[in-house]
Amino acid sequence: MTSTSPALSRRHVLQLGGLGAATLALGISAPETAGAAPPPSGELFRLGVASGTPRPDSMVLWTRLAPEPLAPDGHGGMPTERFGVHWEVATDEAFGHVVRRGHALAQPELAHAVHPKVTGLRPATDYFYRFRAGGSTSAVGRFRTLPSARATPDRFTVGVVSCQAWYHGHFTAHRHLAAEQDLDLVVFAGDYVYEYGITAANLWRQGVAVDPEHAVEVQTLEQYRLRYALTKSDAHLQALHARVPAVAIWDDHEVQNDYVGGSSAYGLDDATFAHRVAVAYRAFYEHLPVDVEALPTGPDTDITTGFDVGRLARFSLLDTRQHRDPVPATEEDRLDPARTMLGARQERWVTRRLDESPATWNVVASGVVLTAVTDDRTDQWDGYPAARDRLLETMARSRNVVVLSGDIHHAVATELRADFADPASENVGVELICTSVASDGDGAPLDDYAPDWLQHDYVKLYDGRRGYLTVSLTPEQMTSTFVHVDWVEADDAAPREVLARFVTPAGRSRLVQA
Amino acid sequence: MPVRPSPRPALVTGLAAEPAIARTALRWRSLGFDPLIDHYRVHAVPGSQGRFEPGPGNLVAKTVYPQLVHHVDPRGETWTYRVLAVSDAGRTGRASEPLVASSSASVVATGRPVATIGEFDGRTLEHRFAPSGYAQIPAAYPDAVVEYVQGTDTPAAAWPYLLPGPGDAWAGRRAYTARWRFDLAEAPAGDHDLAVWLVDTTRLGGTLRVSVGGAALADVDLPPGGTRGSRDGDATVPGTALVRSYHELAVPAARLRQGANEIELVVADGGWVAWDAVGVFART
Repeated sequence: MTSTSPALSRRHVLQLGGLGAATLALGISAPETAGAAPPPSGELFRLGVASGTPRPDSMVLWTRLAPEPLAPDGHGGMPTERFGVHWEVATDEAFGHVVRRGHALAQPELAHAVHPKVTGLRPATDYFYRFRAGGSTSAVGRFRTLPSARATPDRFTVGVVSCQAWYHGHFTAHRHLAAEQDLDLVVFAGDYVYEYGITAANLWRQGVAVDPEHAVEVQTLEQYRLRYALTKSDAHLQALHARVPAVAIWDDHEVQNDYVGGSSAYGLDDATFAHRVAVAYRAFYEHLPVDVEALPTGPDTDITTGFDVGRLARFSLLDTRQHRDPVPATEEDRLDPARTMLGARQERWVTRRLDESPATWNVVASGVVLTAVTDDRTDQWDGYPAARDRLLETMARSRNVVVLSGDIHHAVATELRADFADPASENVGVELICTSVASDGDGAPLDDYAPDWLQHDYVKLYDGRRGYLTVSLTPEQMTSTFVHVDWVEADDAAPREVLARFVTPAGRSRLVQA
Repeated sequence: MPVRPSPRPALVTGLAAEPAIARTALRWRSLGFDPLIDHYRVHAVPGSQGRFEPGPGNLVAKTVYPQLVHHVDPRGETWTYRVLAVSDAGRTGRASEPLVASSSASVVATGRPVATIGEFDGRTLEHRFAPSGYAQIPAAYPDAVVEYVQGTDTPAAAWPYLLPGPGDAWAGRRAYTARWRFDLAEAPAGDHDLAVWLVDTTRLGGTLRVSVGGAALADVDLPPGGTRGSRDGDATVPGTALVRSYHELAVPAARLRQGANEIELVVADGGWVAWDAVGVFART
């Protein structure tokens, strides 16, 4: 849990969890002489490129060598050897002015993914990057470094997406988000992949077919790798990653539906389930441009992170899966003041970040919805009311808190009250819940769940179609724009339509329809 | 910096088997997380074979867990097993010593069927509303009672694939009853067996209360299941998330009679059961 992480922390040197220090470090930076074997011929960068873990002076780049991304063994068509990958960063798209270059090792232990960390960059500066291996050159990605700690940028805009059930529909939302003119970062708010088997019953994405190995529930490392490869083979997702840096939190489907802490919801004991958690967490690290702190030690890892956008915004990205208490067995359990969603350490961490923030806006990303909806939604913060109250108390002390979440496959906007049961209670923040990119297929504006949400006057928007959310922050106000697409199952041609736009003035936790 | 590949997985040890009806439950010692194990491969050949060579032709399953349930013919089978591990780097460890294990025979295979509902085939598909129409069950059975008359009714028309329980909010949190009537031409000369094969149960597990002729026969403990049988109907698909269970109960001859007989199955606690099939079998 860090706000800035070293390339290779003491924790990872001491506790390597199945990867040697050399393996881990060489996936980030390696001498030119390492990995002398020539890579296989053919296009090696078919899973695209990505950048992430943004900082004023650094960025993590990502790619994975995979000439056959859907090879059933999960190794992407790569031999089980190590290969050198060159990267370079330039200030121009033609790479006439390269400012950084380096070399990393693509190793079979990490599915030939590399995570070079580029340092020494200038703040608030646009850069372009690409990889080379063998005779292949990757697509060009771009990123803008964060502003320096003392700067106050005029504007910072993030896209928010979640719930990428590849089989339920096309990633039309990503096509439109990648084309947004004003975009600095994308937040993946959970369920980047789904573990379910893909069969005729749930393959609603038309015009595609999958081989039989995709038909079973994902369980082994090779299957998780294959599922990430399938998801990341989508051209629109690749375009989005190439367009802006990404940060990611997870929810349950990166491992298994409704898992809680180290426990499966499906009858396995924890010691046995830990084997699956370990490979699922590993695959997450392998496929996202995350910091080395996210590399798991067996079934344990740390994806919680945070960063500041100068003095304009502070982002805190939470892990609401790994440290939570079990599903409450009784109402007394649910109301237990000791129940935790974040675990004590993470809760202290986010409390400190909110208490000490110098920023105008304080953005908190949560894998599940914070807003009070109904008491039986125990997978959300509704199952952890005491922990929610503690977070709301912290938010009340802080400034302009904005919670970003997903999970529910609906676009929802709410005002967060200090006490949801008291209509006179003051607002302590707002929650912007992005709908799914594809999960649940086309969807509809209203459905059977709508009354649960719309019974509350603090819920200002509810819609069950696919899409994304953009959040534009300035020193004076936040503008949140909910975008939807009318269909995703038939094809990726649905036009972009603005569903709703809200303005939140700095200093007032309200959603004003714009 | 030296560049060495991660080690090969260690030899799998501690392979043990627990025989059960129509399956053999295998366990072995976990190799932990260093190197990270991508999956274990379970190889098996029929009979008692000694040290066979693991290969693609005898690979019966891959699993991330240090355990596997191998479903076999209900007549009972003997297999020889070897297990090996594959690391994150795709490196393969040495296979375990072979283990010979036999499953238990099921009454479905050894008995003479007297009355059955459905096929004992690991699938719910022949039953009403299968494989995923569970939401129609509360409306179709507002009294929470399923009635099935042998010889008149069919599984597709009269035996819904799920029997809900008190843990199922979608079904009104009620203990559903399945009442099954069948005729015997004459009083049974010997004890019979009742086979209840389930394709899946819920994470809640529960209790299936069984009575014959209006009197309790047994309370069957329902194991926590995959909670997927409400949506998926075929537990024979490799890698399925469905958790099958098999329950076979002796029915003393005195509990049956010439003419009309009635068996009731009630989900007294917990969540639904997804039927594979149920049957009464005479011992042969």
